[in-house]
Amino acid sequence: METARNISFTEKANKVLGISPKDAIISKSYLLVAFAALLIGGVLGLLQGLNRAGLFNLPTWFNYYQVLTAHGLLLVLVLTAFFTIGYFYAVLSHNLGGLLPKVRKMAWIGFGMKIFGFVLAVIPILLNQATVMYTFYPPMAASPIFYIGLVFIVLGVWMCAFGCFTQVANWRKNNKGQHVPILSYFATGVFVLLFFGSIPVAIEVFMIIPWALGWVETINVLVARTLFWAFGHTLVNIWYLTAVSAWYVVVPKLIGGRRFSDMLTRVVIIMLVVLNIPGGFHHQIIDPGIAESVKFLHVFMSLAIGFPSLMTAYAMFSVFEKTARKKGGKGVFSWFNKLPWGDVRFLAPMIAMIAFIPGGAGGIVQSTNQLNQVVHNTMWVVGHFHLTVGTTVVLTFFGISYWLVPFLSKRVLTPAINKLGVIQTIIWTTGMIFMAGAMHWVGLLGSPRRTSYTTYFDNATALSWDPYLFFLAIGGTLLMVGIILQVYAVVYLMFFAPKGETEFPIAEVENHATKTPYWTEKWGRIIVIMLLLIAMAYVIPLVEMIINAPPGSPPFQTW
Amino acid sequence: MNQFLFGFLLLVFLALPPVANLLESIMIVHMHMQMPLLVIAGFLMAYYFQKKYPAFFEKWNQRGYPGILLFSIIMIYWMLPRAMDDALTSQTVEIFKYISLPFLAGVPLRDSWAKLTSFLKNIVIISFTIMFIMMGLLYIAWPEQLCNNYLMIEQITLGWGFITMAACMVIYLVYNVLIDPMQYEGLAE
Repeated sequence: METARNISFTEKANKVLGISPKDAIISKSYLLVAFAALLIGGVLGLLQGLNRAGLFNLPTWFNYYQVLTAHGLLLVLVLTAFFTIGYFYAVLSHNLGGLLPKVRKMAWIGFGMKIFGFVLAVIPILLNQATVMYTFYPPMAASPIFYIGLVFIVLGVWMCAFGCFTQVANWRKNNKGQHVPILSYFATGVFVLLFFGSIPVAIEVFMIIPWALGWVETINVLVARTLFWAFGHTLVNIWYLTAVSAWYVVVPKLIGGRRFSDMLTRVVIIMLVVLNIPGGFHHQIIDPGIAESVKFLHVFMSLAIGFPSLMTAYAMFSVFEKTARKKGGKGVFSWFNKLPWGDVRFLAPMIAMIAFIPGGAGGIVQSTNQLNQVVHNTMWVVGHFHLTVGTTVVLTFFGISYWLVPFLSKRVLTPAINKLGVIQTIIWTTGMIFMAGAMHWVGLLGSPRRTSYTTYFDNATALSWDPYLFFLAIGGTLLMVGIILQVYAVVYLMFFAPKGETEFPIAEVENHATKTPYWTEKWGRIIVIMLLLIAMAYVIPLVEMIINAPPGSPPFQTW
Repeated sequence: MNQFLFGFLLLVFLALPPVANLLESIMIVHMHMQMPLLVIAGFLMAYYFQKKYPAFFEKWNQRGYPGILLFSIIMIYWMLPRAMDDALTSQTVEIFKYISLPFLAGVPLRDSWAKLTSFLKNIVIISFTIMFIMMGLLYIAWPEQLCNNYLMIEQITLGWGFITMAACMVIYLVYNVLIDPMQYEGLAE
């Protein structure tokens, strides 16, 4: 009883006084690293775009492929991972009565490991010894130090995952029989996926290290690629699940509404967790050595993820319409006017959601065998993930930053910064329409991805791509402006904005909401089901790849 | 009634010749997907039988022991390589598969599982885990084809399928041992 009283007291104190300084500094550090990565990664992206359009020549000591590797690593690994962890640790602190001292320690150890690993990985990239692209699978081999760096990043992520599990388990012990608050439930789902999703990549990296060191001569390329995409595909959905958490819980509060069914939200989380890892082969549809039936199975699992996404789309628009109509919105479409379009905290995630309509559709195109053959390894794919990760996920992260950063720094979002945020969102959206649009189109025309500027000896087809590549460069420039504005806003909100209290926006469920069944809390069962599905998806192809393995590949340095 | 309908439809679907041919064409899918789905079909239909003939289950399966024993015998029989070959070559055995797995394994499983104590449940899971590990090792390590109808590579795949399923069951058992649900669910449940 004593503990129960203590916890409820700290929870109350947390609500009244805001986040404790010790917890806040963890999330602030993670967010600062995330946005620093955004700035540097953005500059590299701009260089890449200008080079690709033939407007700018990169020096030989820092070539296009080095820039590409660093840009990818900074944005798809550092920005997303640090933002996700910073955001969810703030959630855990706010939701569950402050972080436990040992959890705080784990977050810091994780932080240190990730930064150390990242520094190790960046050094060989700068030295042009790890120009293997951010997808780092064989037969291209980087310096072993690069892979050792990656190991530390994975260990750091695991540390944070176990921190989250410890925190949630402790809360549940003190609040027996209660449902974990919804955002912490999202955090649990995300960290479960982060942990299990990074096991295959850890195995891959441990296969690669002795090979890169020269201790073993060859490596099974197909197995390595399969392990990579078991992780890569999961990582994509980890970002997505993080963004979805803000859509379900935060956005309804910001527009003055209630959130959609608690049970549906939790079922969507469970489905995203369970169905995720067994879908990695849609990234390998063109890979030889995998039976068509197995690819079909994986495509089925990949498309199954579309189901919870459609549930989400329905839930979100239902919340929007209900809230807008309560505020007097009328007509079939004119109720949209009642939504707070001038509030960046709403505008950014809203555009993010809208971007996911073409983004998701493009994903279905890529998962389809025949259509994939048209766009495989073309700029289309780059356009696709700039629309999904670069817009849907990142714009949601930007939207979150406008309330999360002032909440952490005990400051307020000023009208001027809100206006700046709205402008930033518009610039970002325009930039992305130009850039991702041009990438999709030029990809359909056959322009390959991951290729430095070339006219292929003035080949007519290659020259016809140029106008689109100009649009790509224009879009990239606008995005750079967007990044500068965004980073300025974050720094201002963290250190210079006027002091004050900012609320952590969490919407309540509807009054007549049905009770969520308790089985949703049984993570042990959910994880065993997930593992069974993973076994179903990977046993057949992996046994085939290993038993009937080709001789294997020596390391290649193609640059 | 809905559950019965779903179970029945699943059984009919699995019995459609193209579906049966497809599922039986891959060894691991035959044993680890078609057969469990047949059990699930029976599991779903069991509810109707329990409602319709409560006296029968009360009389013959009072504490769940006979049911779980019947379930285990049927499951073990269908783990034999020979049984799969027979099902593929003889129509009678194939029909027996479609009757035994739903009605002699699925139905008694549902009726018994609710009646067993958690200790016995764990015993059942542990026995199947050990059996799965043994079967997995057999299928992986045996140097010759165990089934006339399936190639060596399929046999090895099935072996790894057994091992991964056993690993999942071990994880579940460890979770059950380490995590005391009372610590988390005590008050409200």
